[in-house]
Amino acid sequence: MNQETPAESSAPLEVHDVSVAYHKKLVLYGVDLSVPTGRLVGIIGPNGAGKSTLIKAIMGIMPLSSGWVKIFGKPYAKNCHRVGYVPQRESVDWDFPVNVMDVVLMGRYGHMGLGRRPSAGDRDIARACLEKVNMLPFAQRQIGNLSGGQQQRVFLARALAQESDLYLMDEPFVGVDAATEAAIITLLRDLKENGKTVLVVHHDLATAREYFDMLMLLNMRLLAFGPTEEVFTPENLQNTYGGRLNILSEVVQIVGETKL
Amino acid sequence: MSALIPAFDFAQVIVEPWTENLSASAWVVLMGALVGTACGLVGNYLLLRRMALVGDAISHSILPGLVIVFLVFRHVSTPLMFLGAIGAGLLTVGIIEFIHRQTRVKADAATCIAFTSLFALGVVMLSMAETTGPIHIDAECVLYGEIAFVPLEPPVMLGGHELGPPSVIRMAGVTLVLIILVTVFYKELLLTSFDPALARSMGLKTGFWHYALMAALSIVVVSSFEAVGAILAVAMLIVPAMFAAQLTFHLPTRLVLTALHAAVSSFLGFHLAIWLGCSTAAAMVVVGAILFLVAWALTSIRRKPRLFEGTDQQSSAFDPIQGLVSKPNPDKSQAATPSC
Amino acid sequence: MKGVARSNKAWPLLAFLGWFCFAPMAQAARISDITEADLLERTLRFFSFTDPSLRYALAGSMLLGVACGLMGTFLVVRKLALMSDALSHAVLPGVAIGFLWSMTKNPLAIFIGATVAGLLGAATAQAITSTTKHKEDAALGFVLAGFFAVGVCLLTMIQNLPGGNKSGLDKFMFGQAAAMGREDVLLLAGVVLVCAAAIGIFYKEFLVTSFDPAFARSSGLKVQIFHYALILMLAFAIVASLQAVGVVLVAAMLVIPASAAFLLTDRLPAMLALAAVFGMLSGALGSFFSFVGRNLPTGPVMVLTASAVFALALFLAPRHGILAKWWRHRMRTRRVQRENTLKAVYRVLEDEGFRSESVSLRELAEHRRETLESSEAAIKTLEHHGFATREGADFTLTPPGWKRACEIVRNHRLWELYLNHAANIPADHVHDEAEEIEHILGEENVRQLEKRLNYARRDPHGKLIPGLEDIHGAGARFLSGNAVGFGPPRP
Repeated sequence: MNQETPAESSAPLEVHDVSVAYHKKLVLYGVDLSVPTGRLVGIIGPNGAGKSTLIKAIMGIMPLSSGWVKIFGKPYAKNCHRVGYVPQRESVDWDFPVNVMDVVLMGRYGHMGLGRRPSAGDRDIARACLEKVNMLPFAQRQIGNLSGGQQQRVFLARALAQESDLYLMDEPFVGVDAATEAAIITLLRDLKENGKTVLVVHHDLATAREYFDMLMLLNMRLLAFGPTEEVFTPENLQNTYGGRLNILSEVVQIVGETKL
Repeated sequence: MSALIPAFDFAQVIVEPWTENLSASAWVVLMGALVGTACGLVGNYLLLRRMALVGDAISHSILPGLVIVFLVFRHVSTPLMFLGAIGAGLLTVGIIEFIHRQTRVKADAATCIAFTSLFALGVVMLSMAETTGPIHIDAECVLYGEIAFVPLEPPVMLGGHELGPPSVIRMAGVTLVLIILVTVFYKELLLTSFDPALARSMGLKTGFWHYALMAALSIVVVSSFEAVGAILAVAMLIVPAMFAAQLTFHLPTRLVLTALHAAVSSFLGFHLAIWLGCSTAAAMVVVGAILFLVAWALTSIRRKPRLFEGTDQQSSAFDPIQGLVSKPNPDKSQAATPSC
Repeated sequence: MKGVARSNKAWPLLAFLGWFCFAPMAQAARISDITEADLLERTLRFFSFTDPSLRYALAGSMLLGVACGLMGTFLVVRKLALMSDALSHAVLPGVAIGFLWSMTKNPLAIFIGATVAGLLGAATAQAITSTTKHKEDAALGFVLAGFFAVGVCLLTMIQNLPGGNKSGLDKFMFGQAAAMGREDVLLLAGVVLVCAAAIGIFYKEFLVTSFDPAFARSSGLKVQIFHYALILMLAFAIVASLQAVGVVLVAAMLVIPASAAFLLTDRLPAMLALAAVFGMLSGALGSFFSFVGRNLPTGPVMVLTASAVFALALFLAPRHGILAKWWRHRMRTRRVQRENTLKAVYRVLEDEGFRSESVSLRELAEHRRETLESSEAAIKTLEHHGFATREGADFTLTPPGWKRACEIVRNHRLWELYLNHAANIPADHVHDEAEEIEHILGEENVRQLEKRLNYARRDPHGKLIPGLEDIHGAGARFLSGNAVGFGPPRP
């Protein structure tokens, strides 16, 4: 592992040669990228391309088979308080006995010590974040009693409450109404304006171009990464979506087998 | 501790059972193998449907069914026993579905609630019935039966010939019927277990097959009761099927392997019990579990990294249907590794 | 936080239960030995708390209920209910080994042995699911059955051993609350204390790791540690309860009170408190019934009491209960029926060009193609709700009735128009869907729809869509004879 220079280490996210295997099956292979500050990045790729896996690998939820990840120049565990996360909506049980306020307060847990309780200040921040997503009137609602779009906004408020510099969002636009989608994208642009970096897993090619200023095309390998207008080309998309059985992925597969 | 594990006396443990006491030994081993085979056949389908613990639930909740049948008819016969078992089994499945369909309580909690409540009801009814008169059901026996008593039963006579202990005859009948059913309805059971949606679209009544399987499960468990008891019947449902599933992905091979596993663990368990002087049924299960551990170790050593299959890692990890149907190719290569 | 407040409340309770253990002993009688006294006498005897064995049994059962209720809550919300069943069976070999250690029924040795066996079982299940293709149910089933078989083997081997006090070892299967001694009760009190303290201190960590483990890990929490801490406390609760309820029914005491609480509340602290109370109640009632009744085993009676509590919650819970759901469904169906009548009345008025304000029953029946009787019944329901007034065979909509009728017709036609315009569904296909949506649309949705459709005035079939002014100013205009809905078009 080569040590990077201090100038590079300030990048919000740096991923170096990361491979991930799940049940001994290769999901990501040799992903290399560095995301600059203050960008809104879309992660695009077909189903099973490893988009969610990449996010989970960045956060250390999935173990890496090789490579390393740095957040603002440090390993994830050292800088986890600078990362906000929005998981997929289906990943939790919406019958869980918590209300909206409880969920948003979870965003503050990373800033409290072990065994500490949320302070009045934490509650104020949580309320402010709920206000930003227009969910304050629902603060005492049980979370199962919300529409899909409202649930997604609660998750977003929780991420805002984390007051992070890098946000990782897994499919925040799935199952939300048009109004919520517009509200979310406005919020993401606000975050960007404030110098935050946002990575969003996205499945809709039609809107990807308009939403994001950088795109990451992923299909087990990182096929392209750069400003949207450069990356969003027919050849790149063909490589990403049409290339499931192309020589590239077969070769990568063979390499992966010998390596593991 | 040395008193706990007696010295291994080859003649006494291995030879004598077959020279001195041939018929008793044969009946015990045969019963063990039959129980293992019948339970294992049903268990294979439970495993495919991710319902292994429904087997646990039904094996416990049969108790009140038996007690009620006994209290009503005041004697125990095979058809009555089956009747009580099927009634209790289907009631359990019904309660589980009712609770988790109608409320926010999840299926796992519903299962736990249904069978423990019914079992508790059975035990309470049993102890109330005991005060009014003798009852031929023993709650402890229901839990962990005693297979060693099987040869002591008065044998069934047929045309002047001694046929064998009634529980073995009953178990053999159940096993035989089960093998026939599984062969005849192989494709229906396969389809409704693998892909219920497709099965429905082809006009199969998935609900019917589900309840039919539950009824078969109830009968198998109740016939195994006397020999192995409820909890060890659960072991016989799960362990042989897990052993087979660990070695192959081909369902017919699995079914055969299940029977093989049952026979081997019955035989070895019988001798283990003689050596250690412990419960025979429990020893059979211990041997069966060890066989699974061996299979597990072997396959872990031999497994290679998988090919990239283009399915989402999450769906293939958590969705049984997807996992079983969508990737026959890599699994075949794996199935070929152990010699069977 | 409330978790802490709750555990603070447990203190006086513990002190009270402690009194049971140390109060002077009056006379010795076992909980099930009393057969000669009659029901009343036995009840009185129960409430005099003079039997020391009864005191231990009662205190133990109640403590057990609290411990199981607390741990069960986390099992239920984490969907690990079957884990409790597997673990309670998996501790059996530990019980046997704990016994072998001292060759007596020493609660501490058995406690340690059983806890280790339980943790080993949990680890085995985890190893099976993570390294093989077997799913969680199979892994738990394997642990349950495999460990139990080893336990039965060991126990049967111990029966053959010379020496040692083996009495009561078989009671671990069904449990015997009456056989509980001071050590057992103290052990249970300790377990309750440890569980309540841990949950109180690390409430927020247990909450977030249970609700959203991926998020918890992303914010730097060691999810596995909290998971295993819960499993460890679960093992404590199971092992300490074995003596009273036995291997088979511990799972019930863990899952049933917590599930009942789950139906009654939407907050975790309240659920913890309710589950503990239900557990305690089941414990107390269980020991009461088994003391008063003849020859009733305590454990199963306790479980049946808990099941009764659950059954009550299942049917009567205010929001998640079956009766509440059924009632809501019934109310909704009735409202839809009322609104459909109102809509029909509006259509009749519309067909007449709003010339009169009253409608006859016959007209309504003809419009709805139904019998006069059913029309009359429908109108009676409207009257009952203040939506209509009747004069002989004719009836008139009241202002609230008119308002609602306009709203429903508007919702229906707006939705038809929306489907037709925005979703390109042909005009003859939109009616059925609108029939359902009209009852659900709220004012806010309607405003959005109107805006999106540029305040259109006619639906795909060319009929007028009632607007805000028609709805609010209707009654007066009606009386003045003005045709409703023909006002100047709004921007």
